[in-house]
Amino acid sequence: MGSVKLPIDDVLHAGPPATPLVEAVLDLVRERIRARFGESALDWDAFALTAADDLVTREDIESVEARILASGHRFDWSARVSVTERPDAHKPDGTASEANTGFAHPEAPSGDADGDGKALRGLGDNVVRYPTDIVGQALYVRSNERVMELLSSGVPTGAIAIIDDSGGTLTAPIIDQFAGVVCAGGSVRSHLGILTREYNIPCLMNAKVAGIREGDRISVEVSAPAKTTEDYQKGVERVARVWVIGEAA
Amino acid sequence: MATTMTERDLVLHATAIKRHAPLPAIAHLAGLPEATAQAVIDQAVATGRVIEARGAYALTPLAGVALTARYARHFADVREDAAFVGAYEGFERINRTLKQIITDWQTLDIGGAKVANDHSDKAHDDAVIDRLGALHEQAEPILAKLASRLPRLQYYADKLLAALEAAEDGDPEWVSDIRRDSYHTVWFELHEELLRTMGREREE
Repeated sequence: MGSVKLPIDDVLHAGPPATPLVEAVLDLVRERIRARFGESALDWDAFALTAADDLVTREDIESVEARILASGHRFDWSARVSVTERPDAHKPDGTASEANTGFAHPEAPSGDADGDGKALRGLGDNVVRYPTDIVGQALYVRSNERVMELLSSGVPTGAIAIIDDSGGTLTAPIIDQFAGVVCAGGSVRSHLGILTREYNIPCLMNAKVAGIREGDRISVEVSAPAKTTEDYQKGVERVARVWVIGEAA
Repeated sequence: MATTMTERDLVLHATAIKRHAPLPAIAHLAGLPEATAQAVIDQAVATGRVIEARGAYALTPLAGVALTARYARHFADVREDAAFVGAYEGFERINRTLKQIITDWQTLDIGGAKVANDHSDKAHDDAVIDRLGALHEQAEPILAKLASRLPRLQYYADKLLAALEAAEDGDPEWVSDIRRDSYHTVWFELHEELLRTMGREREE
């Protein structure tokens, strides 16, 4: 079938839909219909007038909503019960603060504060060795919406980003504004490792962290030896540590 | 192959690949005059598809979702084209080598410890640029095959060659500097382009 125009394509000659949400829903539905029509081997009339009721499934339509939510979008609501029943799908109702406890990796080490007030909260692979450790405020960046906010408002000075996007795709527009990066994925050879080296931003990859809250003051041991390609090949354990040194207000 | 992409989608697609870029860069990648791209961008900003921050433009999340859904039609032909898919898979294979070369470019081995390359060791740098040149020879037939199916992709072949030649001519910033269309910058964007074309996710 390839890229041929179906009767559902380009039907709005007047231009794109008024809102981004309507456009996203329409295009996602078209994509599912195109896929099901392609699988059916029917002609369009037979597909559209009879078979589509069975071939286009509930799961197809649920996947449309799931992909919209995965982008970070949250629906407006008109009755508070919507938020109560499906808090993950709607904008918050403003009555409860959003608790952000961040990542909780099951293998993350933890410890009580030592004599210097440093409590161990994680480990990671150091991308480049720096003369001294870095200290800053933990800033979780996990959604496009967050990136958009930070693009507009600017990243707070001294923020250490905690992210799980090792390709750097999500955070690339703002990465040069971070004082440091802790990434819960990838390796020192990932694109994010390359990007942070290029910007001279201290970075841990493949990090296992738990118990760091948004706004906590953290210290990252980027003075530790960097992990090398040979370390990965030989399975050498070579890690840098992450501590919380002051909790968020 | 004929494209089904409108000027609007070419501009939104270029904005997505550039992630956060000023208008001339978006227009150039889209292959459109700046005035045309500017008109699309202005409309997109006014209707919540694109945001402007610090003189550069980025796609909003929902606009990204809609664009990705439209790829299913735009790229249906090449996704079914064995030669294109084979070339894409060839790119993914040499992408691993490229990442290692860039990593080696950025680091020096001092007494067994990897530290940031301050580019004081010209022999090390020249050796890495030689490896980049060898990699580019492997990339050329792949790039040619990709552009034979999607002529728009010639943009990347031209940009990669220009960056390599500039690096070989003695300006090492063209290897991986993020603030210009260095070899790594263009390669990264081509990877993003191909992942979108094929409907795949980046592994890391």
